[in-house]
Amino acid sequence: MSHDDHHGVMIPAPSPEFVSHEVAHHFNSPVQEFQAGKLGFWLFLATEILLFGGLFAAYFYFHEVYPETFRVGGQQLDWRLGALNTSVLLLSSWTMAMGVRSAQTSQKKKTIMYLTLTVIGAAGFMVIKFIEYSAKNEHGLIVFGDLFDGYQLLSVGGETVGEVSWFKDYDGVMNGLPHGHMFFAIYLTMTAIHGLHVIIGAVAILYVLYGTTKGRYHAGYYLPVDLVGLYWHLVDLIWIFLFPLLYLVP
Amino acid sequence: MGHHHVSSPAMFMSVLLALLFLTFITVAVAQFDFGSANMLIAMGIASLKASLVILFFMHLKYDTAINKLVFVSSFLFLSLLFIFTLGDLFTRRLDHELHMTKAPVTGDWLHPSAIDDGQ
Repeated sequence: MSHDDHHGVMIPAPSPEFVSHEVAHHFNSPVQEFQAGKLGFWLFLATEILLFGGLFAAYFYFHEVYPETFRVGGQQLDWRLGALNTSVLLLSSWTMAMGVRSAQTSQKKKTIMYLTLTVIGAAGFMVIKFIEYSAKNEHGLIVFGDLFDGYQLLSVGGETVGEVSWFKDYDGVMNGLPHGHMFFAIYLTMTAIHGLHVIIGAVAILYVLYGTTKGRYHAGYYLPVDLVGLYWHLVDLIWIFLFPLLYLVP
Repeated sequence: MGHHHVSSPAMFMSVLLALLFLTFITVAVAQFDFGSANMLIAMGIASLKASLVILFFMHLKYDTAINKLVFVSSFLFLSLLFIFTLGDLFTRRLDHELHMTKAPVTGDWLHPSAIDDGQ
């Protein structure tokens, strides 16, 4: 192999509907490029586990301190919508796995179909999430308009107490429960950060979907589809734990 | 690149059906009150589902040893966070009755030293 020119190894296209891939010049071989990409991505996924892990630790902590607040708070969420969203994500994880498989086997049309279905799943998930958030907003459990108005100190019966601006509880369902807002703070933080991952995942899938239509991914080179797939499965992985903890508070 | 593992559609379908079935089981067992065991059961089923996703959808079962080590180690580090956080919590004395009697949204945490000072 010549080291004078800065061109990488070429991976030929398996058929005319695909384009060949040039291995980045700092890699010696296609295998090295593939393994380096995978290792880097698994490291990134490990940091994602730690990000959500901190939030799960907060959940378990406050669940232990305020069990009633969490039990009643969880009853305010519609478990049917949660179960529906769980099913949507599981199905989209399956379409993603099938999409990666189609790319691995150079089946362009199937890859496009499965990736499109996965994006539709992501959109469906966010629509259901929006319906849920709207209901919480309506009942004053999370008033989105007041979300960033902060923490106010109020005087109740001569005692200084704090109150968060976004928790109004119009129906009084959390009356008498200590830190009634705490369950919804955890619910919003965890589902919003998860939802952000769903949106980022959908954008990433659209990116590889575009590349697929251009014939960039085939049996010889499908790393980007593989990595986006891993990301999407991680989004599913997090939700698998969020569903029972938030909608069916144990 | 023949060294890459390509899973069969039948295997992916089996995993999907298992995941949907376990979701149904999750909802079903939540209808019963097993006390504190509910949390263990829910997390046990979720861990089983997560394992299926990681091993088969994410292909970790067929991945290299270094990638397995990287991902599994994240859960080991996470367990440190859980052990010390929850270890602290479970060795504290909480007075749930006391804070229930106060005005809503007020101080409800008492360090053991605050309870045991003879008041």
